[in-house]
Amino acid sequence: MHITGWTVALAALGVIPAALTESRTTAWAWIIGVGVLALLDVWLAAPTSWVGVRRGTPGSVRLTQSTHATLLVANVGRRRVRGVVRDAWQPSAGATGERHAFALRPGESETFRTSLLPTRRGDRLAGPVTVRTVGPLRLAGRQRSFEAPARLRVLPEFASRRHLPSRLVRLREIDGRTAVRLKGAGSEFDSLREYVVGDDVRAIDWRGTARRGEVVVRTYRPERDRRVVIALDSARLSAARVGEAPRLDASIEAALLLAALASHAGDRVQATAFDRTEQARAASSGSQMVAALADALATVEPSLLEPDWPALVRLVESRVSQRSLVVLLTTVDTSAMDSGLIEAVVALQRKHQVLVGSVEDPELGEMMAGRTDADAIYDAGAASRAMLEREAVATRLRQLGAEVVLALPDDLAPAVCDRYLALKAAGRL
Amino acid sequence: MTAPAPLHTAAPGTGLRARARRGRLGIVALALLCGLVAILVIGSRPGDYVPLSTENSTPSGARAVAQILRGHGVEVRQVDALARAAVREPDATTVVVANAALLTGGQVRSLVEYPGDVVLLGESGAALVPLGIDATEEAILVPRTVTAACEDPDAVAAGTARVDLIGLVADGTAATLCFPQGDGVSAFARVEQGGRTVTAIASSSLVTNAQLDSAGHAALAVRSLGRHADVVWYVADGFDPSLLTWAGSGSGEVPTEVEATPDFLPPGTGSAFYAIALAVAVAALWRARRFGALVSEPLPVVVRASEATRGRARLYRRARATGRSAASLRAAAALRMGRRLGVSRTDGRDALIRAVSRAADRPEADVDRLLYGPPPHDDAALLTLISELDALESEVHRP
Repeated sequence: MHITGWTVALAALGVIPAALTESRTTAWAWIIGVGVLALLDVWLAAPTSWVGVRRGTPGSVRLTQSTHATLLVANVGRRRVRGVVRDAWQPSAGATGERHAFALRPGESETFRTSLLPTRRGDRLAGPVTVRTVGPLRLAGRQRSFEAPARLRVLPEFASRRHLPSRLVRLREIDGRTAVRLKGAGSEFDSLREYVVGDDVRAIDWRGTARRGEVVVRTYRPERDRRVVIALDSARLSAARVGEAPRLDASIEAALLLAALASHAGDRVQATAFDRTEQARAASSGSQMVAALADALATVEPSLLEPDWPALVRLVESRVSQRSLVVLLTTVDTSAMDSGLIEAVVALQRKHQVLVGSVEDPELGEMMAGRTDADAIYDAGAASRAMLEREAVATRLRQLGAEVVLALPDDLAPAVCDRYLALKAAGRL
Repeated sequence: MTAPAPLHTAAPGTGLRARARRGRLGIVALALLCGLVAILVIGSRPGDYVPLSTENSTPSGARAVAQILRGHGVEVRQVDALARAAVREPDATTVVVANAALLTGGQVRSLVEYPGDVVLLGESGAALVPLGIDATEEAILVPRTVTAACEDPDAVAAGTARVDLIGLVADGTAATLCFPQGDGVSAFARVEQGGRTVTAIASSSLVTNAQLDSAGHAALAVRSLGRHADVVWYVADGFDPSLLTWAGSGSGEVPTEVEATPDFLPPGTGSAFYAIALAVAVAALWRARRFGALVSEPLPVVVRASEATRGRARLYRRARATGRSAASLRAAAALRMGRRLGVSRTDGRDALIRAVSRAADRPEADVDRLLYGPPPHDDAALLTLISELDALESEVHRP
């Protein structure tokens, strides 16, 4: 049950008789009269069970992009229904214009749009639908809420995709599509073909020439079909906020950009998000990889647990048998010394190439540069100490043969990709 | 084509009626509570705790004497404003004024002009002399039971009385004073004046519920208050400025209704505001009804990544760890300069010092002191060291 603004206006009109008769009894009588009318209107209003709704949502939307959910409202009753319906969503779905007035004859239906601008990655759920019907006097009516489940998957923003074109250009350079195909690091033997004028004489394969009786040259192509395993640490340290977003979001950006780049390069990419167990997994080839990865990583939330590094090592060993590039997107700080990260890198490095990516905190840089007073110097001292500890861990990891990328949140994705391209160019995959 | 998903509707029957059926116990409890509150509200009249009020049943009240007077056929009427007294027959009415000391000058003058009998209870202050009782009040420190010791028939009939709180000391001979204590302080005074009797019962405990049954109090009270068939009882409170009214006062008419506080607003304003208040209550109901419940959502924890470092900085600050801060900053600067100059950490102290002194064009001893010198002892030394270190670093990083 609910009352409308008209009831209030009608109640306010009671001032006139009350002032004219100079009696409080009149005021009370008026209010009671209005109340009786409102109750009558509630009784006359259409039952809320006459209103049926059906929700429709787009499958998924990228964060910061707006979309809309549809709400079909149908009159399944015997009389005309007039009212308002509220299409409730969780706050971070960013729903606007969620109230829709309707007036439907029996059997009629109407579809309304609620615009959504999600502010957070993950699955955003719809709340209950609330239906208000209004009686013929427009004074009051009935109200009910009921569940009509719906879900909107909000994919990671993938803001780092703007770095993709420039990295693809670099990839093509390595690829040899823009340069002479020559034997060298990062390329592998492709085939033998007949010598044509202009070929580098150094590419002549004498053994093949002797066998075939004509001059043949070796052709090379860049390394393809390498394995790339991206492991995102979604444990305790990934929950900490750097700037506006948790560390995990920067890791996801890096994973998406790397997956996009590596699948363009013809490498086989698989990704996993883990803390103590695997939280999400994506393995695909070609152009679907990025979409599959974005969908899988959309719902990963940081958990407040210590990561289980030995389990990750076992997981990687069970997934890939060949030498691969293992990209660990985690946090490099002093706790890595005893959390098992070092041991995991040692174990993985035995067979694979490890690349460790970690998000730096821009706030620490600000603290380190602070010189305004003695307190700022103490801040700078503490920040320097943290930096030195991180450098010590990074140095230890480099000594083990791993590649280490420490970068600010926005720079992590391009930095990891640059290192990937460098490894590819050097033929270290 | 797939069949469209079914429509969601509110399950019929679980509306208000079903909820009422389910929550029957709650409704019964609510009804019981309402009934209880109603009984309590109706059953308990607002308590009257004003001393000497005829509605006050506490020891300081005067309900007992009013009831005894009513039992003797006297009509006792208490008024909350002096103007409401509206005495019709001053000859047959006693006006009782408690705490006359709180009356305004105008009110005392209207009492002086009043032709009928007047009884003053308790402290009367400046009202005594204009009303003909030439006495002043004095506090009684030790209550005592004394005999009438005067000619007044009421006092003689009462015999003894316990004198308490306030007494009267005669300044002249016009008034008859009764129940004197040893030092001449009396509890009761009476004067016949221009065809009326003015009585002052200064020791007000004589008529209170607590003391009415002791000594000759009841007799004194009934005789002095019940001289006429009507009693108008007024307890002065200092807030009521209205004057005593009687048939013949002012314009000669007995006013039926007198506004104690005159209203300058047009008639009907009060009830209009009342109606507005009711409309506001309806508006509150309108706005208070929520259009569906809030939708809950689990939110992630918000921990800043720099929390741990900030905590460490606070510890440094509290401990005034100048040495440790300086060591960190020196090591960080050495690391940056070493990177810039291509000196690895494993090359050692001397290699770095040499490289830095060459790059910054400074003596090696100076560089050594800045990078590896003794730790500073206070904040000032720390600030000086760090500014020198920054200067050195900027020289090294100069393009």
